[in-house]
Amino acid sequence: MSFLHRLFGRDGEDGARVPAMDGVFKPNTALDTADRIVPLPGIDDLAVADGTLLATAGDALYRIEAEARTVQPVRRFEGALTMVAAAPGGRIAVGIEGRGVALGTHDGDWHPLDIPAEDRGAVAAGAFRGADELVLAIGSTAHPRSEWKRDLMSRGASGRVLACRLADGRTQVLAAGLGHAHGIAFAGDRIVVAESWRHRLVALPGGAPVLDDLPAYPARLAPASDGGFWLALFAPRRQITEFVLREDDYRREMMATIPAEAWIGPDFGDGRGLTEPLQSGSVRQMGIMKPWAPSRSYGLVVRLDRDLLPLATFHSRADGGAHGITAVAELGGRLFAASRGSGALLALDVGRPA
Amino acid sequence: MASVSTLTRLRHRYLSGRLVGEVLSKSWIDSAIPVVALLATAAVMAVLIPGVFNVAYLADLSRQLAEFGLVALGLTVVILSGGIDLSVGSMFALCVLAALTGMNVLGLPFGVSLAMALGAGFLCGLLNGVLIGYLRLRAFITTLVTLVIYRAIYDIIFPRLASAIVGNVPDSWLWDWLGFGAVGGVPVSFVIFVVIAAALHLTLSRLRPGWHLRAVGGARKSAYNAGINVKRVVCGAYVASGLLTAVAAFLFSARLGSTGADTGIGMEITVLTAVVLGGVSLGGGRGSVGNAIVGAILVLILTNGLIRLGSPGSVNQLLIGLILVLAVLFDAKWVKNRGKILSKVYVSPTWLELPPRAAPDAGAFALNDRLGASELIGLGAVEGPEDVVLDGGDNLYTGTRHGTIVRFLAPDYARHEVFARIGGHPLGLAFAPDGDLYTCVGGMGVYKVSPDGVVAKVTDETNRSWFSVINDARLRLPDDLDIAPDGRIFFSEATIRYEMADWVVDALEGRGNGRLICFDPRTGRTRTVLKGLIFPNGIAMCRDGQSLLFAETWACRISRYFFDGPRKGTVEVVVADLPGYPDNINRGSDGTYWVALLGLRTPTFDLAMRKPGFRRRMARRLAADEWLFPNVNRGCVVRIAEDGTVREVLWDMAGENHPSITSTCEHKGWLYLGGVSNNRIGRVRLEGADDTWTVAGERRGDGR
Repeated sequence: MSFLHRLFGRDGEDGARVPAMDGVFKPNTALDTADRIVPLPGIDDLAVADGTLLATAGDALYRIEAEARTVQPVRRFEGALTMVAAAPGGRIAVGIEGRGVALGTHDGDWHPLDIPAEDRGAVAAGAFRGADELVLAIGSTAHPRSEWKRDLMSRGASGRVLACRLADGRTQVLAAGLGHAHGIAFAGDRIVVAESWRHRLVALPGGAPVLDDLPAYPARLAPASDGGFWLALFAPRRQITEFVLREDDYRREMMATIPAEAWIGPDFGDGRGLTEPLQSGSVRQMGIMKPWAPSRSYGLVVRLDRDLLPLATFHSRADGGAHGITAVAELGGRLFAASRGSGALLALDVGRPA
Repeated sequence: MASVSTLTRLRHRYLSGRLVGEVLSKSWIDSAIPVVALLATAAVMAVLIPGVFNVAYLADLSRQLAEFGLVALGLTVVILSGGIDLSVGSMFALCVLAALTGMNVLGLPFGVSLAMALGAGFLCGLLNGVLIGYLRLRAFITTLVTLVIYRAIYDIIFPRLASAIVGNVPDSWLWDWLGFGAVGGVPVSFVIFVVIAAALHLTLSRLRPGWHLRAVGGARKSAYNAGINVKRVVCGAYVASGLLTAVAAFLFSARLGSTGADTGIGMEITVLTAVVLGGVSLGGGRGSVGNAIVGAILVLILTNGLIRLGSPGSVNQLLIGLILVLAVLFDAKWVKNRGKILSKVYVSPTWLELPPRAAPDAGAFALNDRLGASELIGLGAVEGPEDVVLDGGDNLYTGTRHGTIVRFLAPDYARHEVFARIGGHPLGLAFAPDGDLYTCVGGMGVYKVSPDGVVAKVTDETNRSWFSVINDARLRLPDDLDIAPDGRIFFSEATIRYEMADWVVDALEGRGNGRLICFDPRTGRTRTVLKGLIFPNGIAMCRDGQSLLFAETWACRISRYFFDGPRKGTVEVVVADLPGYPDNINRGSDGTYWVALLGLRTPTFDLAMRKPGFRRRMARRLAADEWLFPNVNRGCVVRIAEDGTVREVLWDMAGENHPSITSTCEHKGWLYLGGVSNNRIGRVRLEGADDTWTVAGERRGDGR
């Protein structure tokens, strides 16, 4: 059947179909009009530790005072940071590309957490379950975090979810073979995992999809104050990407001969470079970039209810400037979003749920 | 690896599948399919029944065709008008009865009998026509009812006259000649059929009544809005059907000299099968006399063959019915999906390997933002200023996609006025020494505008290529032009395969679809001088007066063509490795040339150009907005010397003001910028440039 689909280019596993931004996903400009708290180039993950907002960018961890709009470095690490998680009680975990996970506190007592060697390259997200268990989403065991495009273009399916008991250092693999595990959240006794390359959320144990066929690639999850969740989606799905993923010959040669920033595929922001690909719908016409242009980047945050059904969405469209939302965190009635594409921390007033 | 790419290249050069799309795009394809079916049926019959196609058979076939074909022509006229006539069989029988009553029963002269038959056909057709055309009854149900009524009349009258018809033999040599005579071996009835068919073909395809008929059948409402008397045309179609059926009936009567109770029974189905099988679309408006004849021959060969093979009549009826269903099904699907199939197969990418590109941001191409701070002219007032040009009074001219040439008035260009209305999007512009403004108009041809704004056509066609399937005589996308010292106009036609609106699709093909054309005002003739160019675009005369530079956009190169002098007819590549896609070329000061770069090469698009299959699948599976495209959201202008060395590069990095620059014009120390998908013109000061230099001045010889 898949052969027939391939032959006729129909929908299905092998089709180049992407879901339309419709219904709850109807576009708006909420992220473009959001408050830009501070610029922070390379901003990636966010965490809330005892009422303070932490952010990673490059190889450094920062503390952000949203009211004062200031950024203070907490500590620099020996590699690019890939995630940050905080437990009640002041414990912080960061993911370091190529080195795995380091545990510490604000005061500076840091030590590495022992996880399997293959999981150390791309710790994409983490969350504490209680004070003593850290659940990690490993994007890929084949490619380091910075080579996420290669992981996508290799149709990577080596993501894992680990549970680490901090007391005795025991690590348990909860799931494997995921298409880039990128976000973690807890819904009752289930663990919800964002699986980027399969555009869905799955629940562990079992691995059944709970939210499927998303129009963009999901990244980190964060709990919402009303018991629901926030989901950041870092880049849009495009037909050309789905198409290239099915064109093995072209994709192989592209990966072998072209630098990754010039590849066809999603990105955090539309670079200002000279070699990025362009789709014909993204050509500036009469001085205007169409909001619905098939851009490589997009800004999207989704609010989910307790049952992981989408309630509302916040967008920055092709002509907007708040693309590549990699992480979200709710704190004090505001939603903070890390826009990696524009290198800035944004804040939206979401208010207390009624 | 090298051999693989060589194979790919050869396959796409010689077996690209381009012709499939081009053949499908021809209007004769509708008729070609029935002809192929006819030839196949004839071949099968020739094999099944050896020796079937002898002279006697052909003579017999031509007599049958004369009668059967005339009825088919009548039905074709009705179907073309958007209706249907099921009553032809009964009408036929009534007309036969009228003819034989005149000749055999009443012994009237030949002419009077003919008038009786025609009168019967006329009255029957008129009844249908009035009911359907003027009283707006449904064609299907009306003719179904008249089928029954006419048949009932026949059944009432025929038994009373049957013995009189059989008992008398008319004494008329004309009658006998009509039935059995021949002209040079060809049956008389067939000659009559050919004459009528030719006249009808002429009427339908060349004369006003035929055009009205097709218009009504194709789009009734539009025809009404266009002022056509729809009711009269529809009524006329049924009357014509009745008259043609009457002629057929008269020929039938003359041949057989008698009639039976079953005359004309089932005829409507056979005729309908023939007409639909021949390619006359049941939806109306599509079809021709040729279609009807092909279908009629096909059905006759089939039924005759089946009778010769000894198959029983009921089986033949069954087969005819099945064929009718299949033909109707094919007709419906074909009309509905032809455009869809065409759009899927027309785009036919080929293999194009570009040379390693000059680094886009190093050396002479070092990034700067000199165009970012341009002075804007006419922001929002012009749409699609593909080319810009200035006159002796420093006024600025540009074409717009609204089909006008707009003039911005010196010195501040704040005021503008419509200089000329062309009707198509003016692209390349150039002033002739006498002050006429010449322009290439997308979809139209080359036009000129006199200084007082009078528009005149220069040329809109060139010589037709012998082996081109699509008609390449008419100019589709003339792009840029320049005028040689002797007055000859050289212009580029970017592609012969796409219209103006679809020019970007040509990028996906990467084939040499374009050409360089020359119009000679002394002879008034237009001739193609270079073919197979890959989207030829900018044209600029060289300073030696015997050569010109032209840009090939998708090939990222600039070449020089010698049209005079010792190297006449030769082409040499001047720049082969531009980092972007060159558009218009214009003269600059200091013996240089300005090249506007439409966009930049990207590694992914370059790779796609080496993978035609990838691009073809992309064109089939993805919507056009999703296709991969060169990066045209940056602005870049390059200044080159005549030998191709890059002197200077100006960038607009953000691409906010001048993405995809398509043309430049240097004038008195300023560089003016146009863009085909932009809504503004820009100008930047050229530091250190000659403040008096203009293109026209240099041509006159006083500007250096």
